[in-house]
Amino acid sequence: MSWQVKSIAERTGDLLPGSPWTAVLYVLLTILAVTAFVTVAGLVLIYAERKIAAHFQCRVGPMRVGWHGVLQSIADAIKLLMKEDIVPRDADALLHILAPVLSFAGMLLVMIALPMSPTVQVSDMNIGVLYVTAVSGLGVLGILLGGWSSNNKWSLLGAMRAGAQIISYEVSATLALLVVVLFAGTLQLSGIVQSQETGWWIWRAHGCGIVAFAIFLIAGTAEINRTPFDLAEGESELTAGFHTEYSGLRFSFFFLSEFLNMFVLAAMASTLFFGGWMPLHIGHFAGFNGIMDLLPPGLWFTLKTTAMIFLIMWFRWTFPRLRVDQLMRLEWKILLPIGFVNLFVSAACVVTGFYFFAQ
Amino acid sequence: MSVHVSTLQARISGESTASSPLSTEEYFVNMGPQHPSTHGVLRLVLRLDGETVREVVPVLGYIHRGIEKMGEHGNYRQFVHLVDRMDYLSALANNWAVTMVVEKAAKMETTERIQAIRTLVCELQRIQSHLLWWGVFGMDLGGFTPFFYGLREREQICDIFEKTIGARLTMNYIQPGGVMFDIHPEFVKDVKAFISYLKPKLVEYDALVTDNVIIQERIRGIGKLSAERAIALGATGPVLRASGVAHDLRKSEPYGVYSQLDFDVPVGKDGDCWDRYWVRMEEMRQSVRMIEQLIDNIPEGKTFMVKPAAKIKVPAGVHYSHLETARGILGVLLVSDGKEAPYRIHCRTPNFNNLWCIGEMATGGRMGDLVAMLSSIDIVVPDIDR
Amino acid sequence: MPADSVPMPGESIETPTVVAPPEKHVGVGGAMTGAVPWIDKAGVVGGVFRGIRSLFSGMGVTVGYLMRPSTVVTQEYPENRETLKLPDRFRAQLAFNHDDKGYHKCTMCRICEEACPNVSIIITGREKPAVSKKELDSFVWRLDSCTFCNTCVIVCPFGVLRFDGTFESSVYDRRLLSYTLNRYAGPVASVLEKMEDPEARKAAMDPRDPYSGAAVIAALIEKQKATKVSQRAAREAARAARIAAKAAAAAAPATPPEAKDVG
Repeated sequence: MSWQVKSIAERTGDLLPGSPWTAVLYVLLTILAVTAFVTVAGLVLIYAERKIAAHFQCRVGPMRVGWHGVLQSIADAIKLLMKEDIVPRDADALLHILAPVLSFAGMLLVMIALPMSPTVQVSDMNIGVLYVTAVSGLGVLGILLGGWSSNNKWSLLGAMRAGAQIISYEVSATLALLVVVLFAGTLQLSGIVQSQETGWWIWRAHGCGIVAFAIFLIAGTAEINRTPFDLAEGESELTAGFHTEYSGLRFSFFFLSEFLNMFVLAAMASTLFFGGWMPLHIGHFAGFNGIMDLLPPGLWFTLKTTAMIFLIMWFRWTFPRLRVDQLMRLEWKILLPIGFVNLFVSAACVVTGFYFFAQ
Repeated sequence: MSVHVSTLQARISGESTASSPLSTEEYFVNMGPQHPSTHGVLRLVLRLDGETVREVVPVLGYIHRGIEKMGEHGNYRQFVHLVDRMDYLSALANNWAVTMVVEKAAKMETTERIQAIRTLVCELQRIQSHLLWWGVFGMDLGGFTPFFYGLREREQICDIFEKTIGARLTMNYIQPGGVMFDIHPEFVKDVKAFISYLKPKLVEYDALVTDNVIIQERIRGIGKLSAERAIALGATGPVLRASGVAHDLRKSEPYGVYSQLDFDVPVGKDGDCWDRYWVRMEEMRQSVRMIEQLIDNIPEGKTFMVKPAAKIKVPAGVHYSHLETARGILGVLLVSDGKEAPYRIHCRTPNFNNLWCIGEMATGGRMGDLVAMLSSIDIVVPDIDR
Repeated sequence: MPADSVPMPGESIETPTVVAPPEKHVGVGGAMTGAVPWIDKAGVVGGVFRGIRSLFSGMGVTVGYLMRPSTVVTQEYPENRETLKLPDRFRAQLAFNHDDKGYHKCTMCRICEEACPNVSIIITGREKPAVSKKELDSFVWRLDSCTFCNTCVIVCPFGVLRFDGTFESSVYDRRLLSYTLNRYAGPVASVLEKMEDPEARKAAMDPRDPYSGAAVIAALIEKQKATKVSQRAAREAARAARIAAKAAAAAAPATPPEAKDVG
């Protein structure tokens, strides 16, 4: 079965020669759709997090607003919108205002590269993996600026922790990404998905895929500042870390981007290691593959991403937080060497063609 | 208050502590009075070098209510309910401390039943207090889930207290001359059910927190307090025992019916956070042991020896008595001039002394360690200020 | 051991049994001891695997609760109002024990008022008792200053007071937190029982509004003020008289000896 892969950018391009205005309209609609998706996904994720956390802890979570509290996130969003927006007197006002925007923009820009199904992908760049790595670095800029400009020592501590942590773990995450790039032979995200037509990289690449996935998951969790790596926020240590001085809408930007970064991480993990929208295929075993193809690719992507998100939430509601020096030790002394070795081993595998269903 | 701060500032301006070639600048941070990890309105002035803690100075007085002074304006019975508000997690032990000194001084008789009930409820409250500590300890280390599990079990003890005593936190149950009520008819059944419920949960706590590699990494070897320093600072309770000093008033000066009970005193070796953690976890198990021995053997007898309204007169002089709460030794010094109201009451509260160990422990540690150490001391701020 | 001797580390301690922390902590997740806990005797690889296993065992605990919704302990309060039952000893609100005829037994002995550690009970007697010598007018209980120590209940010789479990006592006006507990002002039950005439009985009982406590306290304060004012007036009058007498004495230095008897 061949997949008709066509990103929204390509379709806009097709429209462009005929009628530029239709193309502009198309672009505007796409922007609207992405923004709407981000908002809705954020609300859903926040609700899911609260419910799942509650049941991990023998509670019921939000129950009052709507059926089982489904509208709680919306109520919270309205509450946040109506709150007073405070910029501390001695804060650097411009940077203080800019920081959440940067943080949000980083997340939003990553969003357009994610292949959610063969046809739902805003822009399918040929350097997709590189783009995602580069743009997601904007988030740390937002956090650093937010902590710095607040003129609060707790915020500064949180921001410095976040800066050190995210930059360190970016290295490991990239090394793990490179393993898949090596196997797939392409940086294009849709290409990586299609390279898994005969099986997902998590198992086709022998141990390399599993190790790379574990590193990516740990490093990714650290990059998005979630427990056990939530040192930047570090509630019990730094009160609220980098966003101590933020309130109202600006806080909600940080909050939303944190949650959607989790979605981005889950989507990237499922795209790279679990085939993205690609159904579970085993080699050229046509019968089995045919049954798997009955489910639409969009659903496959959703299921995998949901499972990843659940895993990340599960981590958060089980583990305590690491200490700063332990965090750095884990990265530089444990994950990084393993990542390098893993990369060399997988390079050897690729060169020798020693992996399942090699071309 | 300002004295402490200015002293610190004078100290930092006097010396340059940056030892690395990279020039770093030390700075002050106020941890508290409003901070999630100080568990109340405690203020710690921190001198930090990046993440490293150079000095910790606790600043007290944010919840001073003058309980000792208020005690001078009422009779002994009226003072008992005030001490509920000192260490609110060991309200019964606080009641008992005052009761003990009054009974000792006024030579009041008690029955075996009274002593057994007092011992039983105090051990239940010790478990309750340690459960809350366990949950908060997990939360301070960044895991939220233990907090809810700890509180869930604590709730059951609170329910038992609610049935027998009628209150959940501020009990005013142990009175000079007895206990306010006899135990509820369902008390024995409830306690047994709770004990059989708690035992598997303690195993679960080990799986969730004790054995967790992150917890082990974080609390082992930090916040060391030597036995000498612990004694010099007047630390008591689990903090002292974790440092290797087997000093437990329940063993060394048995009160209540502790002399008839078979239990061990957990003692640590290094005095680090892990030892304090372990001592408290083991104390819970020992308390379970004590309750199991006691619950079927509550002797019959009266539960109140004097008329509740009878006036208590303590002979003139200085009287002292102490006992072991969940946090350490609570001593009550009573100066009486022979009247109905005490001339002066002083409480030697465990948290006050235990708190000062933080300066000893935290110096040179990290910011995250400081939170773990503070939590491992298990302070209750109202008990510090009184 | 005497109270004032704290054992020093080297000293032998009279503590018969002591449990020391185990060399290897035995738990579900496995043992992790040593300076670098999870990399001890088992070596790096074994340590790492044990560490990972401990993480999974923790995750097993939490997911166990997620999978069993029956373990939820939350009580959803306003919804479970019908089934929510507080224990009978629960101290939420002080109440008066009225018998089935609506009579109370309070003799106004004021033992509870004296026993109350924070003046939460204010008892006023009737100005003109209808039947007996002393009759209760208002038994005011201030919830806002009460600490629920239960002392008043146990000291009452007649069993008039009790604590009941009506815990929903929040109001929007602080003054409403001063309750008048007695339903009527008047004599105790035993006196009322003796009265044959229901009309006289009715006349002796003056109904009281439960929320009139604030008014009673305000009246008491007014009365105190008035007493103070009258006392001050009396003092000032006395002082003025003294001054006048002094002035008179100064004006007439040569006091006739017979005037002494007048002064």
